[in-house]
Amino acid sequence: MRDSLSRRTFLKSSALAVAAIAATGTAASASPLLRGPDDEPDENVKKVLREKFGDRPIRAGHITLDVPDVAPDSREVPLLIESDLPMTADNYVKGFHIVVDHNPDIYLAGFAFTAAIGAATLDTRIKMRRSSHVRIIAETSRGDLWTTSRFVFTSLNGCV
Amino acid sequence: MNGDIGQGKIILPAKIARNAAFNIRALLSHPMLTGMSRDQAGIPIPAYFVNEVEVTYGGERVAHFEWSSGISRDPFVGFSLRASKEAPVTVTWKDNKGGVYTSSADVRFTTATED
Repeated sequence: MRDSLSRRTFLKSSALAVAAIAATGTAASASPLLRGPDDEPDENVKKVLREKFGDRPIRAGHITLDVPDVAPDSREVPLLIESDLPMTADNYVKGFHIVVDHNPDIYLAGFAFTAAIGAATLDTRIKMRRSSHVRIIAETSRGDLWTTSRFVFTSLNGCV
Repeated sequence: MNGDIGQGKIILPAKIARNAAFNIRALLSHPMLTGMSRDQAGIPIPAYFVNEVEVTYGGERVAHFEWSSGISRDPFVGFSLRASKEAPVTVTWKDNKGGVYTSSADVRFTTATED
């Protein structure tokens, strides 16, 4: 009897745990800019995003950010940005924005394009003050915003 | 590129097909100083960086970049345009001290098909 009771208790608690995980997963996917718990921007970053994009929703997806996990030189961190968003005459990527949470200028750079853009790709090199999330926001000609982020470890202050 | 400030360079692919996307790489020699570092005597080095970049293709503005000093020294940017015409691509960099630097390259279609 005792065995079956404890087994029942165990099953019940694990079912609750599974339900809790499922609920958390739903909340995470519904929340903008949030892919994992560590990806949540802090208040300073949120302020910059609000200044740039107002209350427009920023959803995760459609961007690939190729950047080293550990930057060998924080003065020159290479970024390669690509997107699988549509590229047609009336629906194209009209801009990329680079946001680095822990840099002196959180909004690092913006790149605006017209319908003359060929492919949704951007290649550049940035400085990083310390280990931080690097966020890319893509803006479409229809006004949709998509984001992705990567955490990049650095050693020295590259903001010289 | 530790020589003169403001030497621009635009690199286009060897083959460009009509109406295909092609990559442009634009490079400028510039120190891109944040204003947050000091020299050996401890005197702050003033900010000196490119804050605006404009790209035209056949005289038409096709891209515009807004930079902070967080873009690396000798700033590099690679992006893509659609080869709609045989015309020059011109990149103009402007820095916070009034410096304006320009570089151009001609888009010429090759006989090769889109690759």
